[in-house]
This record gives sequence, structure tokens and C-alpha cells, in this order.
Amino acid sequence: MTERRPTRPFPPMGAMTSGPLTRRRFLERAGLALGAVAFGPALLAACGSDDDSSSGGSSGSGGGGGSNDIAISNWTSYMDKPLLKVFEQATGISVDYREDVNDNNEYFAKIRPNLSKDQSIDTDGFVLTDWMANRIINTVEWAQPLDEAKFPNKVNMSPALANPAFDPGRRYSAPWASGATGIAYNISTTGKEIRSIDDYLSAPGTKTALSEMRDTMGLFMLSAGADPTTPSYAAAGPAFDKLAKAVDDGEITQFTGNEYVGDLGNGDIAAAIAWSGDVAQITVDNPDVRFVIPDEGGMLWSDNFMIPYTSEKPAEATEFINFFYDPANAAELMAFIQYISPVVGVADQLRTIGGEAAELADNPLVVPTEEFLAGLTIFGSLDDEQEVRFDTRFAEISGSG
Amino acid sequence: MSETSGTVTSPGGRVGRGLINTAAVLALLYLFAPIFVIVLFSFNEPKGRFNAVWQQFTFDNWLHPFADQGLVDALFLSLQIAFLAMVIATILGTFVAIALARYRFRGGNAINYLLVLPLTAPEIVLGASLLTLFIEPNLILFNIQFKLGFTTILIANIMFCVSYVALTVKARVRGFDWTLEDAAMDLGAPPVRTFLKVTLPLIVPGILAAGLLSFALSIDDFIITYFVAGPSEQTFPIRIFGQSRTATPPQINVLATMILVASITVLAVSTLLGQRRQRKMAGG
Amino acid sequence: MTDRDDEGRKTARVAPWALLGPGMIFLFFFFFLPLYTLLRMSLSSSESRFSDPSFTWEWANYTEAFSQFGEQFFRSFLYAGAATLAALVIAYPLAYVIAFRGGRWKNLMLGLVVVPFFTNFLIRTLAWKTILGNEGVVVSVLRTLGFLAENEGLLRRPIAVIGGLTYNFLPFMVLPIYVALEKIDPRLIDASRDLYTNTWGAFRRVVFPLSLPGVFAGSLLVFIPAAGDFVNSYYLGSTQTTMIGNVVQNQFLVQVDYPVAAALSFVFMAIVLAIVTIYARSLGTEDLI
Repeated sequence: MTERRPTRPFPPMGAMTSGPLTRRRFLERAGLALGAVAFGPALLAACGSDDDSSSGGSSGSGGGGGSNDIAISNWTSYMDKPLLKVFEQATGISVDYREDVNDNNEYFAKIRPNLSKDQSIDTDGFVLTDWMANRIINTVEWAQPLDEAKFPNKVNMSPALANPAFDPGRRYSAPWASGATGIAYNISTTGKEIRSIDDYLSAPGTKTALSEMRDTMGLFMLSAGADPTTPSYAAAGPAFDKLAKAVDDGEITQFTGNEYVGDLGNGDIAAAIAWSGDVAQITVDNPDVRFVIPDEGGMLWSDNFMIPYTSEKPAEATEFINFFYDPANAAELMAFIQYISPVVGVADQLRTIGGEAAELADNPLVVPTEEFLAGLTIFGSLDDEQEVRFDTRFAEISGSG
Repeated sequence: MSETSGTVTSPGGRVGRGLINTAAVLALLYLFAPIFVIVLFSFNEPKGRFNAVWQQFTFDNWLHPFADQGLVDALFLSLQIAFLAMVIATILGTFVAIALARYRFRGGNAINYLLVLPLTAPEIVLGASLLTLFIEPNLILFNIQFKLGFTTILIANIMFCVSYVALTVKARVRGFDWTLEDAAMDLGAPPVRTFLKVTLPLIVPGILAAGLLSFALSIDDFIITYFVAGPSEQTFPIRIFGQSRTATPPQINVLATMILVASITVLAVSTLLGQRRQRKMAGG
Repeated sequence: MTDRDDEGRKTARVAPWALLGPGMIFLFFFFFLPLYTLLRMSLSSSESRFSDPSFTWEWANYTEAFSQFGEQFFRSFLYAGAATLAALVIAYPLAYVIAFRGGRWKNLMLGLVVVPFFTNFLIRTLAWKTILGNEGVVVSVLRTLGFLAENEGLLRRPIAVIGGLTYNFLPFMVLPIYVALEKIDPRLIDASRDLYTNTWGAFRRVVFPLSLPGVFAGSLLVFIPAAGDFVNSYYLGSTQTTMIGNVVQNQFLVQVDYPVAAALSFVFMAIVLAIVTIYARSLGTEDLI
């Protein structure tokens, strides 16, 4: 047998850092560095996680972590974080509060796969707009009844909202907040006031609309002379055409969920179809931003709190909503988020708090007057077939569908 | 050895040289522009919820880097997933690599080609197809119901890492002197023991490298994870994506900068160590 | 002595499959099977929007997909092509300089190319949104120079999206080209310098053609992910710049219209598969990893 000196098996680790660098080697080095290193911040994070927490809630154990911890999914700008802490202390229930609802359809798409197969979505309550609440409660039946015993403050619910067609007697839902859809704009960019959809379309600068079909189409239907309370695809034709033209001409460049808020605040957008309470919070950062209900009318909507059927904590979840139906708490909440409260007696409470809050009591966007409400319409309900046609055409126009 | 970086004396040549060098420098600047912005804005004190316009300098963000609890939790989840995916994908992939490198068998080429496919497939297709799998009411023969959540995220991450590991380890193992094994077995060692005591230790560095590669891939993955994540699990990229619509806290920049600095350090250290090792080995 | 081939491999029947087993079974279930379910979904339809779609040989999904979204399909390939070209133009000089002028600093320079990509993909793209925003330096300079009107910006336009795509996949172009250039036998370069009086000629006739495998590999590695991306268009674009990725994401995760989205994805995958197979057959898979 000839003797063979074993050749070096293969380049040792050191050679990874010299010699010709193939894509493989690049990725290896990347892997080594990134991998070995990402641990650092994480370890620090684990140690330092009791640092400040500005995003409210418990330490993220998710719904069902402790014995009575709950997880709530809500839209952004819908909570006063200190108030949430008051709730936690008063009831001993820890809340994992997530602002992960950006758009009704998007949230529905997220929960659909699990809820359609009896699987948990790790949430004990979510807040969705009327028409989606209708779908959740009636069409797919994914909501469970609220625990009446834990909801004594239900009597404070505004009578106007207490018996909607989609949930008579409010057994499955409770309105969280109502608001108006109108136009928000940055006066320093547009240079002039905006009073209608036509003004909005002809204003200079970047403009966006809402990806919520009923909000955007509602305004455009009003602008085109159609009636959104009894919507039909045929009658909405001219409104769709108007919207399509605006998109084709480049007047409207994006359809957003909550994203418009930041861009409006920092001047990247000139005008946007927007939600009333959002603007209140932008104005704090940027006083040039104004909100207006178009002359031809704006939209009124409500967002509703519901409990998914997979939740095992309906009692605690109901306690959560009950807390916010106490007029004092409701007033404090509305003083911060500046939407329309579903609770009776909030106006008086605001005046009691005094200061800026008292001024809000006179702001029709927060405490609406009859006159103000007269200028707003609610988008009527659509049956399945009509809804598909509306959604399809809207998706076509908004580009990503 | 002849000069390959040739001495060019013609004026046209020198201009050309200058142009190319400038182009290269510009390219490097281009590569670093966003990094510069990211680091810079980690020191910004934004007025509103978005860290998009420079206001003023502050150290606050660095003093409280973990202020955004949701972000920290998301990073933690990403790390957990990446770690588990790394372990499992490395095991699976290494076995595949050894099979391909050590044996010649029918179907070897086909397997090679099949392994390349997940690497080159676009992420949305990988994500979308996995989603269609996970929502199937019953999986043909099995009656498994997948719940979108931690498990599905993990499966997805393992999937796209296995190919990388397999091909990486295979490439590193190529050139391995398998006759070492023969020698060991000649000396009486049983095959399994040979493998464990002779072969494995020598290919471990390659396996480690592939493992760390899959860790890095998994941590940064967004698109595939986004499709298969459930409503409540948020990995670091998913959290940023969702949150970026309504707020971009400077802590994002801080965490990103921390990871960046640490990566550079590790890279520098490993390069220096490698160079020293090379010199040692060359020197004797 | 066991029978080994040139690469040291033993012929065997059973052992390799035992080793391959777990990994390949995993890939079977979670890569190949999903492609099948994707295909099935693309041929399905559902009675209402909320029930799971069922398989009905619904070929109409494909025609519908193209009539509604053909534009996005075309646009994705257009943008990806532009990004690939841009990446090539930017990457080639860099790779050239590193390969031929790098000397001792080669590894450092390669490291520099790689380092920016240690930050998260989304964060990088958001940084571009800041850089190209109306309040940023770039727009101000371009406005002063007259390239942009007073109210015009760079964001929400194709150029921003293509720019983002180019940036995000640049290293995948730099590295293969670098490797290809490095592999060129130095003697060939010397010979070419002797034959051609100027370096440009030497480059055009010798160096560049020899680097082509790297160029092709890099182009493949940039084009495919760029065509399937949606993040760049999402952050930097507008409704007029939506790409296949945006449509698939929107249809799956917002509109919940799985069948049509599946049809789109499947066609996209088929095209990619064709490209990769052609590439693998002609150039081999070595340069890709």
C-alpha cells in the first residue's frame, strides 16, 4: 500500500475570511456576524425590559397569559394610555393592548384563517366598523355575547346607538367611538381653504384617499349627487368614474389606512380624506393642518367592540368595555382621542374637567350638535353581490387590486 | 508575478482609471447613504410620531433603547424563531449535504437542482403557497389543521433555510479527503464511529457557518413570515411594517444601529483572527 | 479499498437516501406541496367571500387575473429589468476596482459592500423614504437645479421604486461579478494588455466577456427578487406603481380573494422556474451559491 499523506481536508475556518469571496462566503460571513451578534441587543433587552414601557399594557405575554390577562386589538389613536393603567389597577386585569387594526378588510383577512377553523386568534376583543361588525356578528357569526352581568354601565349608551339593525339590543357589540370622515389638509401647502371634494381634487401637492371603500366612495358619491344611504352599484357609477379620473390624472396618489397621519403632519401630503379625531392629534404637532366636512356632506361611522367566539375571557373583556362606559372615564378618553363618544353625559363631564377638555364640549366633532349631524350620512348596507361589485371596482381603481 | 494592476501610461488610460475609481467610490457612498441616515436619525428627537424630519439632537433614545416594549418583544420572538430554525435547518440540511457530497447515486443531480429552486423562488410565491397549504381544511391524507402562528412561522423559516444550509455545507465539504475515512476504517473503526470521530469534527466549521447563515436569513425575513404569521405573533420585521404606518419611534433606529455596530465588530474581529491564523499557518 | 470517483464520492444505493430523507421530506411538504396547493387554489372558486374556496377547475381565474392585473405583471418585469440594469452599471466598476485594484484591502472592501445589509430590509427602505422625501436634501438639490418643479417630489414615482429595488439587491450583483473577475487568469490579462494598445480594448474584448458568467448570475439574483418585491413599491411608490407583489399581498391579505391571487403567483412562479432552468442548464448552478 502506498503511503499517502492525508491532504488538508479543506480550508479551515480562518480561510473563510480570506481568499476569493464567493456569494457563499459572503453569506457565511454575513451569517457569522449577524447571527452571533443579534444576540447582544436581545440579551440586553431581556435584562432591560423593565425599563420604561411607553406602549402600554403588560409585558407582552399575549392574551391568556396570566389568569385574567386579556388582549385587545384596536385601531391606533383610540386609547389614552394612562387611563388604561387606571383600568388595570382598578380591576387587577392586565391588558395586552395592541394597535394592530389598520383597516377592516385587512384585519378580517388576518383573523379569517384561524376563526374559520375554530382556532384561537389570541385576542379577547377587537374593534371594527359597523359594516364589518355586521359581517362578524351576522354573516360569519364569529362574535360571542357580551357578559351582561359585567356590563352595568350599558345603560349609559347613547339611545341613538343602542339598537342598530345589525345588533338589536347590543348583545354582541358596544360602540367604542364614532367619527366623521372628511378632508384634512395642510393649509400652508395648499395655500387656500378646501371646502369640497372638488376643491380637494384641484389643490396642489400630493393627495391621498382612504382605502376604506365606504369612506372614500361615500364622499365621492355625495360629491357626484348620489345617495350613500341607499347605495347601488349602478347609482355609484359617476362617483367611481370621478375617482378613477382623479387617480389616472395623478391627483390622488395613494389609498391609505392610518398612514396619512404621519405624512400629513410632516408636510409630505397636502390633503387627505381623513378621520376626524386623527386630525386633532396631528394639529398638536402641526397647527397648519385643518379638518373640514365637505359642503356636500361627510360620512358618519361607528367602531364597535366585539368579543371573538374563541376568547375564553368574555367576562374580563366585558369588564374592559364597561370601564369605558363610565361617563367620567369616557370623558377622559374622548378628551384625548377627540372622537364622538357613545356614552351619554360626556359633555357635562368634559365641562367638569375644565380647561381644554371643557372647550371640547363645544366642539361639534367631539360633541356633535343636531345641525352638525345633519351634514353627515351613514353608508347604507350592501348585500353580498353588491358588496363584491363595489369592492372590485374600488380595488381596481386603487391600483393594488 | 506579473503586474496585473498594470501601469498604464497613456492619458486616455489614466482618465479611464480615474473615472472607474470615482465610480467605485460613488457606489460605496451610495451603499452607505441610508446607513448614515439611520444612524443619524437614531439621535433625532422627533416632534410627532414619525421620525422622518430632523428636529434636534438628543441622547435620550440611546438612554432608553428599549422604551418600545412591543418592539423589544418582537425582536425576542424573531430571535427565538431564528434560533430554532437554525438548529433544525442545520441538522436537516447537513445530512442532505453529506449525502450529496459523499455518495454518487442515481438522482443526485436531480436533487441538486431541486435544492436550488427554493433559493431562487421569489419570496411572495413561497409565502403565498405556504399560506394556501396552511389554510387547507384537510391535508390530503392527513387531517392536520394548521393554526397560523408560531408553528407556521417556524416551518416557513426552516423551509427556506434548509436549501441554503445544504448547498453551503456541500460546497464546503467538497474537497474533503474522504480517504481519511477509509484510513480510519482500515484501522478497524466501525463506520458510525468513523463518521462521528473523524469526519464530523472536520466539517463542523462548515456546519457552524451554515447555521449562522440560516440564523441571519431567518432574522431578516419579512415577506414569507408575513404571509404565514397569525394575527398576534409579530416578528421584528412584521412589527416594524405594521407600526411604520402610524409611528416610527427612534428606538427602531437605535436597535438597528446596535445590531449594525455589533456585526461590524464581529466581522472585524473574525477577519483579524483569520489573517493572523493565515500568517501563522504560512509561517509554520 | 472502496470505489471512489474523482470527487471522492462512493457509489451507494441506500445510505444517501437515508441521509437525504428527513430534509427532502421536509422540503416536499413545505415547498413542493404548497406549490401544488397554490395551483389548486388558483383553479378554485368560492360561493361567498367567507367560505373556503373549493376546487372547480376554474380556469376563469387565470383570464381574470390577467385582465385585471396584467398591467402590474408587465410593470414588475419592467421595474425589475430597470433595477437590474442600474445595479449592473453601479456594481461593475465597484467589483472591478475591488478585484483589480484592491490588493490588501480586498476583503475590507468586500466587507464594506456587505455591511450596510446588516440592517433590516424594512428599515433601509424607510431610510430611503426619508432621504427622498420632500423635506430631504436630494429633493431640495434637484429643485434648485431645476430638475424638479417646486411642488414635485421624488417619492410616489417609479424612479423612487426602481431606486429602492436597485439599492436593496446591489450586493447580489457586486459579488458574483467580483468572483468572476477574480477568477480570470492573470496571464490572460497580461496577454491582452500586450495585444491591445489601450486598456479599454483589453477590457472590452477579454475581461468583460470572461466576466459574463458573473454578470448573468448577478442579473438573475437581482431580477427575480426585484420582480417579486412589494415593500419598495409600498413605501416609496403610489397606486400607479403597484407591482405583482403588491397585488398578491393585497389579494391574499386584504381582499381575501385567494383564487385569483394564487393564479397570479403561480404564473409568476412558472416564469421564474423557466428562467432558472434555462440558466441552470446552460451555466450551471455553481455560481449561484
